[in-house]
Parts: sequence; structure tokens; C-alpha cells
Amino acid sequence: MATADLNPGVITPSAPPGNGLLVLLAAMTPEQLDSVFAKLTVSFPGEELLIATPDAISEALPASAHPSFRIVAAPASNTAWTLIATDFVNAYQLAEKHEARAILVLGSESGSLSSFALRQLANAALGPTDLAVPCYDLPPHAGLVNSAILYPLTRALFASRVRFPLAVDLGFSLRMAKRLADAAQHFTAINQGETPLWPVNEATEAGFTIEQFDVGSHVQSSRPDFNTIFPLVIASLFSDIKAKAAFWQRFRPLSPAPIAIPMPPAPTIDTAADIAPMLSAFRLAYSNLHEIWSHVLSPNSLLMLKRLAATDAAAFRLSDNLWARIVYDFLLAYRLRTINRGHLLGALIPLYLAWVASHFNITASGANPEGHIEAVAAAFETEKTYMVSRWRWPDRFNP
Amino acid sequence: MQNILAVLLQLDPNQSSRSLFAGDTSIWHNMADALHQSLDRVLLLLIAVLPGILAFLVALAVFTLIGMAVSALLRRGLAAAKLDERLVDERGNSNWAPSTSPTALIARASFWGCVLLGLIIGVLAFDASYATTAILSSSLLPYLTRIVGAAVLLIAGTLIARFLARSVLIGAVNEQLQYARFLSLGIKWLVLVLTAAMVLEHLEIGGNIVGLAFGILFGGIVLTLALAVGLGSRDLVSRSLESRAEHPGQSSAPPPTAIADDSIRHF
Repeated sequence: MATADLNPGVITPSAPPGNGLLVLLAAMTPEQLDSVFAKLTVSFPGEELLIATPDAISEALPASAHPSFRIVAAPASNTAWTLIATDFVNAYQLAEKHEARAILVLGSESGSLSSFALRQLANAALGPTDLAVPCYDLPPHAGLVNSAILYPLTRALFASRVRFPLAVDLGFSLRMAKRLADAAQHFTAINQGETPLWPVNEATEAGFTIEQFDVGSHVQSSRPDFNTIFPLVIASLFSDIKAKAAFWQRFRPLSPAPIAIPMPPAPTIDTAADIAPMLSAFRLAYSNLHEIWSHVLSPNSLLMLKRLAATDAAAFRLSDNLWARIVYDFLLAYRLRTINRGHLLGALIPLYLAWVASHFNITASGANPEGHIEAVAAAFETEKTYMVSRWRWPDRFNP
Repeated sequence: MQNILAVLLQLDPNQSSRSLFAGDTSIWHNMADALHQSLDRVLLLLIAVLPGILAFLVALAVFTLIGMAVSALLRRGLAAAKLDERLVDERGNSNWAPSTSPTALIARASFWGCVLLGLIIGVLAFDASYATTAILSSSLLPYLTRIVGAAVLLIAGTLIARFLARSVLIGAVNEQLQYARFLSLGIKWLVLVLTAAMVLEHLEIGGNIVGLAFGILFGGIVLTLALAVGLGSRDLVSRSLESRAEHPGQSSAPPPTAIADDSIRHF
């Protein structure tokens, strides 16, 4: 029997879930909720599932629709596009309250994932794996920030091949949940509960096991404002890297690729129309932000950017090593507070758009997008020695 | 000739010439006296002021040296006591840049504290070197404090102007506004003009003229910016109005950073 928690003021005694799994859902529309429930019904046939959702007290949730689900109320999250510190604190508290052994966190668009994928994530979290992460099959021109910065940095510094370090759907064990909750307390204590957390970095530092699963395509209907979200995400990642400096400065071998990364075909779209606004943004930024970039980047990088600004759109190529050094220089400037951090990350946006334009040009010439992203990640690994030496001796070279 | 004049004026000619000569001598003598007296007054004033100035400079120099010594001692002592390592958070991570570690901050604060103390002592010594009834001392000290306040205002205003200019520049560039640098300069000069007017008013210089000039200048800069933004965005506004007229149900035109193709997703 489904037991929807219709009286939030009454505390009912909590029983552990049948299989030890707590499924924590993000705030969803009724259609999204129906889709997720349908997938969970297929993924866990006949099993009693404990589901925590902010919509538990909604009248749209009939108790008899899913008799094998035990639905409880969960605090609503203010952010839909990623998991934030408050989400991990809530997840751990709910898991402790209901004596769950593992947690499966699903975002608002998790209804687009396959039932098999949901089952895989859950089984891994219930089993020996501490952190089960999805590998989404995205279109070639999606997840570009992840391809340009998040994945290469995480791979180079934390020796992790997780393709999407900031996934919104995760499975993790109770001890991983505790570790994430402890890390999140650091932010919630200073009223920064909406800061994203980096579960892959936490698991790697703690020596926990991580497993990645191919979950198929992921549909994202929301389109967060880029100029607002980009500095937030990058600042969070840079802060996390700064906090774990003692860990990633040591050499660690890269974990072997557990699954074959899906290789989508090269796109057949009008590249020139796509990259024109990005190139104009980069050229405008070069003429106006050159003085700010000179505080952060090396003279060699500035010279290469100068040549790039004069390059034609068709021949525009931002080399992988240059991009890696640019990101590392910005990371160092973030740590040293060379300029105001808000200004620093705002100044990175045009350079990122230049990388995107270059990426589109490279893929339009026939190269595989995923192959190029792997090459970028490899460049980040190669330039790691440059990064470590500047991190340890920041006064030896300052632009 | 003198005799004729003396007769006409019924003066003893010898007496008039003697008095004229004596008058010349007294004029020069009086002039010399006046000059001597003014020179004496100036020298007296300098003699009165110089010890105060010297006392101020000596106090400032001595306390600066003391500050440097205290700062160096504190830096060595705190480094030996590993204060920075002890003040990490419970996760064992340090959240400060090397140039702003607690040791550096404490050392820097102690140095500037000593300099400030030297400044205060120097100003008090400068004031004590005057008689209490002297006009100069009763007006100089309050004005010195106003000068310090004006200096603080100027520094704060300059820093705020630079910060705002950079914020506006980066924001405008990311919104792909072609007049980003112009906008940034306008904001910077607005804040600097405001700061200058506040400083002059604080120093009680210029009176109403400063306020009037500031109003005219500030208004002129704002009008220039408004015209530049309005004229520069004329095409954008007309296109937006045309599209609204053609498609009344649709939302307004996308911002400049929107990419045409919906398949491009940065996140």
C-alpha cells in the first residue's frame, strides 16, 4: 500500500525501505513525476520503494496510483539544474531518518533516462560502489561547459574519467552521503546552501569507489541564464580545487576507461552562423578586456590570443594546450585573488566562447566531437606540471 | 630757489631743508622699521611653527620605524608559531591567498597601527607647540582632520570608481554592447566627479561654485551617456518595435548573447 504523507504535522514512525534504497526526487511537474514513477515501476518491479519528493503533499499524487511506493515529504530545492549543498544535507538526513543504505537522487528530467539505467545506478549504490554517476548521451552541441572545463579539469587534477562531474542524477552509498553532507555543512553553516558540490572530487579524495554508467539521452527543458550560472559553477569548482590542493598536487594514474564513451556523429548544421556571434564576442572582449587578461594570462598566451583575434572565422582554432593554460591561469588568479573574483570569472566568458567556436570549427571539419574533447582533456593532463609549479611558487612568475 | 620758496612759505629755508632731509631719513627709517618688524613676525612665526613640524616628522618617523620593527617581529614570531597552519578549518583546508594569510594581515595591521599612532602623536605635538590663543592653532588642527577625511574620501572614491568601471566593462562586453568601454569610462568619471565634489565640499573650498559646477558636469555626463546609449541602441529598439508590431503575441527579442540555434546548450 502506498502511504502518501498527507498530514505533515503528524510524525509517523519511519520504517527502513524494503531494499534499503531511498529515492530522492527533485521538484517536478505532474507530467514529469508520472514519467519518473512509470520508469521506477519498470526498474523496480514489485519492490517497495521509499520515495522522497517535495510534491508528496500535492493533491496530484493519488495514493493508489503506485501501491508499491512509500512516499514521504522532502524539502524543496531552490535550484533545478544541479544538486546543491542543501540537497546533500537533506538527502543524508532523510536516509538516516528512514535507515536507508543507499540514496538515488534524480533530477527533474530523470524521466528521460532509461529504466535500465536507473536500476544500474541504484544497484551500484546498494552494492560495493560508493558513487554511481551517469554518462549522458548528449547532442554534439550540448554540455559545452562540461566538455570545455569541468571534465578536463576533474580528469587532470583528480585522475577521474567521470564524463559529467556535475550530474544531477546520482546514486551513492550512506557513507558517501555522510561525506557529502559533511562537506555541504561547511556551506550551509555560512548561509551558502545553494553552492554546487562536487561529488566526484569528494569521492576521489576520500578514496571511495566510483562507477560510471551509460544512461542514454538526457532531455533538459530548462535553460538557465548562462552569464549568471557560468561564474557560479566555475567559482564553485575553483574553490573546491583550491580546498583540495594537497590532494591533487600528487601524481595519480588515470583510472582506465570503464565504458566506451558514445561517439555521436559529426553535426550537420550551419557552423558559420553559430560561431559568428561567439567570435564577435571574443573580438570585442579582446579589444576591451585585454588589460584585465594581462593581469591573469602569460605574455605568450596573450600573444596567441592576439593572433587568434585577427584570424578568419573559418580558420579559427584555439589550440588545446593554450586553452588548458588559460583555464589554469584563471584558476591560479582565482586562488591568488589577483583581481576581484567576480570580474575574473566574467572575463573568462569570452575566452570560453572562443573555445566553443573553435570546437565547432574542428567538428565541422570532420573531427569527432568526443574525440576533440578527449584531446582537450589530454592537454589538461599534459599542462598539469605547469599548473603545479605555478601553484607552488606563485611569485616566480606573475604576468 | 630754496630761499625763494622759504620766503614765500615764510619758512626758514635752512630749517625746511633740514626737515626735508630729516623726513627722508625718517621715511626710510620707518620703512626699514616696518620691514624689520614684518620680518621679525615671520621669523617668530617660523620659529613657532618649525618645532611643531619637526616634532610631527620625528614622531611619524620614530613610530614608522617602531612599526617596521614590530611588524617584522610579529611576522617571525607568528611564522615560528605556525599560526597559518593552526588556523585551517576543520577539514584541514586553508581558505586564504598567500598574500592575505593571518600572519601577513596581523603584521601589516600592526605596522599601519604604529604609523597611525605616530601620526596622532605628531599632530598633537604640532598643536602643543602653539599657544592656545593662537588663531593658527585653533583653526589648523580641525582643518588637518578635514584634510585626512578628504584624503580618505578621495581614496575610497577612486577605488569605487575603478571597481564599478571594471564591473560595467565586463558586464557590457559579455552582453556584446559595442560601446562597453565608453560606458565604463562614463561610470568611472561620474563617480570620480562625485568624489571630487564631495572632497572639495568637505574641505570647504569653493562654496556654492563647486556644487553648481558639479551639478552641471554630472548632468552633462549623464545626458551624454543617455544620448550615446539611446542613439547607439536606436537600431535595436526600432527592430524590437517592428517585431512586436508584426508579432504581437511573441516575447521581446532575445538578448545579444543568445545563440540562434536552440541545439547549443552550454550546460
